[in-house]
Parts: sequence; C-alpha cells; structure tokens
Amino acid sequence: MAAGGTGQVFPRNIVAAAWGHDHERAGADRVDLNTVTEFAPATEATWRDGDAWLGGGTFLFSQPQPGVTRLLDLAAFDWSPVTEDADGVAIAATCTFAELARWRPSHAAFAPFAALAARCCHALLGSFKVHNVATVGGNLCLSLPAGPVTALASTMDGVVLLRGRGESRGMPAADFVTGDGRNALRPGELLTRLWLPAASLSARTAFRQLSLSPAGRSAVLVAGRRDRFADTVVTVTASTPRPVCLRFPAPPTPAEAVAALDAQRPEYLDDVHGNAAWRAAMTRRLIGEVLAELAS
Amino acid sequence: MKITVTVNAADYTRDVEPRLLLIHFLRDDLGLTGSHWGCDTSNCGACVVWLNETPVKSCTVLAVMADGQRVNTVEGLATPARLDPVQEAFAACHGLQCGFCTPGMMMTARWLLDNNPDPTEAEVREAISGQVCRCTGYENIVKSVLWAARRESGGAGAVPGLRPGEGLTGEGLPRA
Ligand SMILES: Cc1cc2nc3c(=O)[nH]c(=O)nc-3n(C[C@H](O)[C@H](O)[C@H](O)COP(=O)(O)OP(=O)(O)OC[C@H]3O[C@@H](n4cnc5c(N)ncnc54)[C@H](O)[C@@H]3O)c2cc1C
Ligand code: FES
Ligand code: FES
Repeated sequence: MAAGGTGQVFPRNIVAAAWGHDHERAGADRVDLNTVTEFAPATEATWRDGDAWLGGGTFLFSQPQPGVTRLLDLAAFDWSPVTEDADGVAIAATCTFAELARWRPSHAAFAPFAALAARCCHALLGSFKVHNVATVGGNLCLSLPAGPVTALASTMDGVVLLRGRGESRGMPAADFVTGDGRNALRPGELLTRLWLPAASLSARTAFRQLSLSPAGRSAVLVAGRRDRFADTVVTVTASTPRPVCLRFPAPPTPAEAVAALDAQRPEYLDDVHGNAAWRAAMTRRLIGEVLAELAS
Repeated sequence: MKITVTVNAADYTRDVEPRLLLIHFLRDDLGLTGSHWGCDTSNCGACVVWLNETPVKSCTVLAVMADGQRVNTVEGLATPARLDPVQEAFAACHGLQCGFCTPGMMMTARWLLDNNPDPTEAEVREAISGQVCRCTGYENIVKSVLWAARRESGGAGAVPGLRPGEGLTGEGLPRA
C-alpha cells in the first residue's frame, strides 16, 4: 500500500500495519489512551485529578485524552435507564441512545415526549452501533453544539442533577451547556440524571434538523413545544455554540420568534458542518416550520 | 487486570492493561484477527463485533468492560461444516473487493437478519450505515445481504438489481 501515493490520507494505524510494526511496537502505539493506567467502577472510587467518568466511551476512546490517567466506569451504578411517575420522567446518565429511543412511556400522556426523544436520538450522527453505547449523560457532558440530548432537555425544561464532593445540586438543562464543549460541571462533578417534569412531557412537540449530508452532523436543530395553556418554547441548537431557548406565553408569529432570537444576539457557528450565514438563515426558516407544525 | 471474556462460546482469561480496547484484545491477545482495526475513532465500522448479542464498534469498548460478557466475532459465523449464509452471500454476490470492511459488514448483516429476516433495501442500507467501504460503492454489499435473506427464507424472489443467476461471482456470462 502506498500511503499518500494517490493523494489519499490513510489512518495512521492502517499505515502502521502496512509498515509491519512488530507486536511490541504496535502495542505501544495501538491505543490513543496511552496515559490511562487504571480502570475502576465509579461506585468504588473517590475522584482525583486525572480521572474521567466513563459513559459509553464513544468520545473518550475516539481521540487522545492526554490528561486522563484513570477511567471511572459509570455502568457500575447499574441505574435503571428511564423511570417515570405521575410527576415526570428521570433518565439516568448511563441510559444509552438505543434505550431512550426504544422507551415507551406507561403514562399515555407522555407519548409526545417519547416521540421527540426518539427523533433526537436519531439526530446523533452515528449508526445504531454508536447508539448502542453512547449515553445521555455523555452527550450532555461532552456539550457539543450538535448534542441532541441538550436540545431535548432544554426544550422540555429538563433539570440536570449533579453530584459533587459532598454536595448535590440541580440546574436547568438549558443553562448547563455554556459553549462549544463547555458546561457548568465543576471538577469531579458527576451528572447522575436528567429530570423532566410531567407538565412539559404531554405538550405538543415539533422537530427540525438540517445537515449537509443525509446522515451528517446536525448543522441546525430546532425543537419546539406548545403546552396545554399555549405556552410555547422553541430551542435552537447545533447552529449556535450553546442552546438558545425562546419562551412565549402565547404562540408567537414567526416574525416575533425571529425577533426574540435576534434579541439574544446568538453567535452562529462557522465550520465544516455549515457556514454562519447559511446556519442563521436556516435557523430562521426552521423556527417558522416548527411554529407552523405546533399550530397545525 | 484479570478478565474473562467468552468469545465465540469459548472462555478466555487474560491479564490486560486497563486501557486496552476490545479490538486489540481480540486481535493481539487472542489472535482473532478477523475483526479489523480501521479508524480507531468509531467511524469506519471495520471493528464491529457483538457484545452480548448487540453490535458495537469494538474500538469503542475497553477489554475490561467486556469482562464476564459474551463477544461474537466474524470467526464465529461459520461452522467447520458450513459457511454462514451471509458469508456465502458475500462470496456469491461479490460483496467485497479488498475485504477490509467485510468482517464488520457481515456481523451487522447477521444481526440484521436475526432481527429482521426480510429487510427492505432501505433497511439494509440503514443497518450498515456507520460502516465505511472504500471499494464496492455498497451496491454489492446490499445485494449480498438481500441475497442471504432470500436464501435463509428459502425464497427465490428477485433481489433488486440482481436477476436470479445474474452477477454471481464465478458464473459464466451468457454468450451472444
Ligand atoms: C461516529 C460518531 C458520531 C458522533 N456524532 C455526534 C453528534 O452528532 N452529536 C454529538 O453531540 N456527539 C456526537 N458524537 C460524540 C459522542 O459520541 C456523543 O456525544 C455521545 O453521546 C457521548 O456519549 P458517551 O456516553 O459515549 O460519552 P463518553 O465518551 O463516555 O464521555 C464523554 C465526556 O463526558 C464525560 N462524562 C460522561 N458521562 C458523564 C457523566 N455522567 N457525568 C459527568 N461527565 C461525564 C466523560 O468524562 C467525557 O469527558 C459522535 C461520536 C462518534 C464516534
Ligand atoms: S476501528 Fe472501530 S469504527 Fe473504525
Ligand atoms: S471491500 Fe474494501 S473497504 Fe469494503
């Protein structure tokens, strides 16, 4: 194999294999996690510098993590993926995308939420092989603009429950993600679950997502909810580094919604998933579509 | 760390580093090199195996996370007497060229047919999404999976784009 000979860039491990690295050499090179020396059940470890909570690992194992020396496996908590009662739904941080997409509520009133949850799960770029392991908590904590759980949780007035050293706290999911890859987690804090109140789960919902290729990473994602009393919430993610939540006491016109959006002066992302001007235009357009669907 | 993993119904106990990925455990520690290691970023799907009957990308799982679990790899598809129909199909329909993506494709195809014995072409394409093939353009992979479905159901129905007897590897071309 002539690496690069045809202008193609081969992954370095394929090239390494073609160059015939011996076993020891391959052993040293074969994992990007070359600083990790320990793996422990999260139930049995006390957080220290160099630790990382391990959800599904789809991000942690996909690129070098130079600061990480120990992985704390959250599966050890053995939390039920989704629990519900008349007050609402709790989704464990360890619930996988596949589990959430499959979940059917026993309270019929929560069906609109289940439908939106399934659509958000499928908005994660990645096949079902990724969905089988990627977790809700990992998606929130990775805090990518295209994080579909961030969109879902913000639209539903979700609350994230965080457990730190000696104290626990809750905060609105819409405030949790503070920027591209940034969030309100303090060092060592664990997101244990996402709580969604019953009042929003029976609301009518609408969802629009755009990306540059059919199964590509979301460039714009707009989700909306309209309650029984006509309160309307529209959330923009993916085109902006952090969620933009628009709230209205009565259904807004598209022009009112766009004015509310502009009043927040959102910054639009400009990257390989779409340029800023296109994202801004599509955000406006999808807001209109979401409002139309909520009104229909 | 000492782990025991059941791979293709056989138990293997090994001492491994905590950071070792399942794909490397299978290939380097157990010598099961059927599963391939492509991108190492969970994108290419060459490393797909089943963890407790669920297809996963084995570069996304640590070996220690498979401790006490069951793993199925491409080596477990055939019996000594017979290829799995999915393997037969890939051979018959020329579902591979270089073969790098093939183990992952076949493990996904086997899982699909176990759960949906009569998939549509769209369902096959959906199932193999997230698995990259640089050679075939996917057409013959999709045909292979549909062919295997027909073979398993005993049906002789036509596979879209492949007339019965046409295009099978090794078949003679009709003479003019
Ligand atoms: C092919 C592919 C496509 C992808 N597409 C998308 C996409 O479209 N959108 C998107 O948002 N992401 C995408 N990702 C990134 C990633 O897979 C997802 O964000 C996924 O949901 C992360 O979840 P995880 O459980 O695998 O996280 P992990 O890799 O386990 O963890 C991610 C980060 O969060 C921390 N963490 C995990 N759980 C917790 C917790 N409970 N409390 C505190 N910290 C925690 C970890 O320490 C780590 O820093 C993609 C990844 C791949 C491989
Ligand atoms: S090596 Fe696992 S997906 Fe590419
Ligand atoms: S046959 Fe070569 S990558 Fe698929």
